[in-house]
Amino acid sequence: MRFLFYDAVTNIEKGKSITGVKSFSLSEEFLRGHYSKIAMVPGVIMIEAMAQLLGWLIIYSHDFRLTAIMSLIEDVTVISNLRPGFRAEIRGEIVSTSRRDSLGMASICVEDKCIASLNRIIYSHFHDVQPEELIKRFEYYSGWKIQ
Amino acid sequence: MRYLLIDRITDWKADEVIRGMKNVAMSEDFLEFHFPKNPIMPGVLLLEAIAQLTGWLVAASSDFKDWFLITKVHKCKFYGFAFPGDRVEFEVKLIPGTEKDKIIYSGIGMVDGKKKIVAEFEGETISFEEIEDANEQKRFFKLLTRE
Repeated sequence: MRFLFYDAVTNIEKGKSITGVKSFSLSEEFLRGHYSKIAMVPGVIMIEAMAQLLGWLIIYSHDFRLTAIMSLIEDVTVISNLRPGFRAEIRGEIVSTSRRDSLGMASICVEDKCIASLNRIIYSHFHDVQPEELIKRFEYYSGWKIQ
Repeated sequence: MRYLLIDRITDWKADEVIRGMKNVAMSEDFLEFHFPKNPIMPGVLLLEAIAQLTGWLVAASSDFKDWFLITKVHKCKFYGFAFPGDRVEFEVKLIPGTEKDKIIYSGIGMVDGKKKIVAEFEGETISFEEIEDANEQKRFFKLLTRE
């Protein structure tokens, strides 16, 4: 299972916001066991999608000199019974960021309907990173060119 | 990947509490990308394990008529990482005094006595028979509880 829950980054603005897309298909690995009679996209996978995309915005905003790992989420709502077969737009915003940590918020919409929202997420920063490696990964995952 | 995040249930008391565990193995599919060269059990999968354990509490308390889906996370804090080789021990409790149609749960995950995740969340119950073969799941619950 490739634990990646966005397919492309569609817009990114340093220090501010990021948008990306993710198509939820019937072939997703996480649907094995969730459930056998009805396929439902797990709510926590949507939380992960928001956290992954916003995490990249933080890394990008700090010029790939750190990595960001979720340490707290608060006030999260997800629709629990979504059948796959839709394309979602994920949006994340930085509320504040420092060398030590970042605070942000995110949401997922399908057409004009919000299917998930995450009103407060805190990331801890880790500075033991290789920027070149992070840039390569970001380019591969996002579809954007940095260099 | 079989999206089953609970390996064993050690004890439970109807409509009150359930305890279970997840062994994190180096062979887990999701560790390949989380993270490259640095395998860490994703925090949201710890949350999913708590949600699934809550599902087993709701199922066992209703003679396998109901299952639980998470819809809101009030707060979820990640205190540390769970690594391959760790056994995460979970406990989910129903918070007393909540209304029948809006039951709030608290969950905790620990490795070697150290807490890794604490979550407070709510959800909705759905008919187990609608999503799974309830009799088959009853047998699976016996496997998990080793009855």
